[in-house]
Amino acid sequence: MNSSSAYHACPECDLLLKATLPDVGEKAHCPRCGLLLARPHKQSVERTFALSIAGIILFFPANLLPMVGITMMGNANTGILFSGVLALFNEGLQAVAVVVFLASILFPLVHISLSLLISGHLYFNLANRYLAHWMRWMHHLDEWVMLEVYMLSIIVACVKLMSIAQLKLGWGLYAFVALIVINTLLTSGLDEALFWQRIEQLRTRKNNAN
Amino acid sequence: MQTKTNALSQGLIRCHDCGYLVKTETKMSSCPRCDGHLHARNPHSLQRTTALLLSSFLLYIPANIFPIMMVNQFGAGEPHTITGGIVDLIDSGMIPIAMLVLVASILVPASKLIGISLLLLCAHFRWQVNARRWTTMYRMIAFVGRWSMLDIFMISILVDLVNFSGVQIIAGPAATAFAAVVILTMFAAENFDPRLLWDNQQNSYE
Ligand SMILES: [Zn+2]
Ligand SMILES: [Zn+2]
Repeated sequence: MNSSSAYHACPECDLLLKATLPDVGEKAHCPRCGLLLARPHKQSVERTFALSIAGIILFFPANLLPMVGITMMGNANTGILFSGVLALFNEGLQAVAVVVFLASILFPLVHISLSLLISGHLYFNLANRYLAHWMRWMHHLDEWVMLEVYMLSIIVACVKLMSIAQLKLGWGLYAFVALIVINTLLTSGLDEALFWQRIEQLRTRKNNAN
Repeated sequence: MQTKTNALSQGLIRCHDCGYLVKTETKMSSCPRCDGHLHARNPHSLQRTTALLLSSFLLYIPANIFPIMMVNQFGAGEPHTITGGIVDLIDSGMIPIAMLVLVASILVPASKLIGISLLLLCAHFRWQVNARRWTTMYRMIAFVGRWSMLDIFMISILVDLVNFSGVQIIAGPAATAFAAVVILTMFAAENFDPRLLWDNQQNSYE
């Protein structure tokens, strides 16, 4: 076992495996525990770059335009993501408000920004000493981006309110749905192994140039 | 392309953050590729997971006993617990949505608490089990965790929208406890190291 990069290990059972990447469109599972190890996508860098740009653009209408409007006994009200956070905060549930803010607004924004930064650098072959750090942060944030859970909450809330109030869906909601679609494509198409490979290549090239 | 050995038993540590393999003999404390902290197995995995799990168990009680939201109608307040909200949905004939909330708010947190307890017992007492099956259970627990935030997000939406002079929805104290349960169990699942299950098996390579 001379070169450690000729091998890799399963993250969930530590089985030592020969590092062979599956072909595009195929999946590699761990033969021992069954974990999905890799699913390379075509042009993962380009694809991630394009989707990140779309995601950043959609983030703003999704957060700024009204999502759901409600009319009840002659009174009207509309809600956006942040007004929900504010409502919790004003009722004294600051901790919950912070959690909702992080999981539905800040973490999604940071996650998309990081993937834009990383894929942008890789796309234009720019070396940056923070690339590895950004990759690590993005990897850890993944689980805490809860846009699709929020979407389900909107549906349940609307069903609950349907019988007692009139609801009107706003453009913010459509932008939010589009953002979720983009975000899902983004996370499922991001080939971490390839990204790490490219980051290392950029680093060695830069070191050789110096 | 399978060897029949653990990376660790060949003197290799897998970086938890980027997957890079580092030789143990180099005694490096951080990964040369991503600068992440290197550790063969999650540090103090069982102790940390146990602490997080016990806190979640304790908070699970107030989360279910106290009202998660109150509906104030013309001065008269009506408290709703998590279970009460589901009963209301069933009463108004919205069975599929009621099932959805039942799964996300009651079944998922409860099965997470039980599942992580079992995983801890299995790793601690070195039970000889079908490690593949147990790893699959771990994976499911880690996957479903975040979906329990459903109720918390829903409350933030309802509290925000239903805020009129006649009718108001107010979040209750159980919301904080419930959000804490969801987050603590997510951290518990993250801290548990499924590789411990495999380390303890005598015949895991057959
Ligand atoms: Zn495995
Ligand atoms: Zn690393």
